[in-house]
Amino acid sequence: MSGNPATIHAERQQTRVLFIFGLAFALSIAGCSGVKPPGAQPPSAAETVAPAPTPAPAPSPPSPAIATPSSAAALNPPNPPATPPTTARQSAVKPATPVAKAPETVAKAPFAQPAKKEIAAPDVAKNASPTLDLTSLEQRLKDTKAIGVLTKIALKNQVDDLLGQFRAYYEGKLKTTLADLRRPYDLLVLKVLSLLQDSDPLLASAIVASREAIWGILSDRAKFATI
Amino acid sequence: MNKCVMRHSIAFLTAACFVAPALAADDAAVKKDLFTVITLQGLPCGEVVSVTTRGDNDHVASCKDGNRYHVFLNAQGRVVVEKQ
Repeated sequence: MSGNPATIHAERQQTRVLFIFGLAFALSIAGCSGVKPPGAQPPSAAETVAPAPTPAPAPSPPSPAIATPSSAAALNPPNPPATPPTTARQSAVKPATPVAKAPETVAKAPFAQPAKKEIAAPDVAKNASPTLDLTSLEQRLKDTKAIGVLTKIALKNQVDDLLGQFRAYYEGKLKTTLADLRRPYDLLVLKVLSLLQDSDPLLASAIVASREAIWGILSDRAKFATI
Repeated sequence: MNKCVMRHSIAFLTAACFVAPALAADDAAVKKDLFTVITLQGLPCGEVVSVTTRGDNDHVASCKDGNRYHVFLNAQGRVVVEKQ
């Protein structure tokens, strides 16, 4: 109303610019709010499994989509350090041979993550290394982003409690059996696996691979004393 | 003057756009962490809907089912979950 046409024009331009920026901001906020934390994105089975059989026509047994760590544990004999190392090493050396590939797929089955198959395959072979590296596992658990800080502390508390139970058992202060101690151990491993399997499947598979070896240490008085 | 205000507001809005999602993700991570801790103790909590942070590793979590828990790290380095 007041002022010359030039100032009116300038004001209109400014209002237009502000409107455009406001609109852009609203759009960007709407876009940002749609961002979800990287959670479990269940890959469609048909989409991800389809590329897998292309290299080898020989059909492997269908891997279940649901995680069943106990089945993987059942596959491992109580004394794994003797035989699995050779197969793991073979699979690492000759990944092309179907014979060497079979155990690898079995080890991966509980944590179906076929989307990263090409990347994951050598890592899993590396993780299923013959020697149980507790220090490395511990460090990887500390470093993983899949578990929150408080959860890590709570889990460590539970691990310490279980170790205390084993200590008391070996000192004769706790009247129980190793079979009874196996249950809380399995439960604790399952808790850790359930936390890891979606966000850090490689670490989860490494823990599954080491599960029996760790139990081998815990259930042996002499080995336990070295911890 | 107007141009200056506009520049500042644009800068502020741009910064807000980058910071808001980061804070939201942080908040979601804390809620998830607290939910996991509560359920690890075997306590019921459908979902952590709000968190009040009292200090470092000291939170009060409100669950969807109405339960409230004080989750903190005690002097012995143990995570304690107290129902309120």
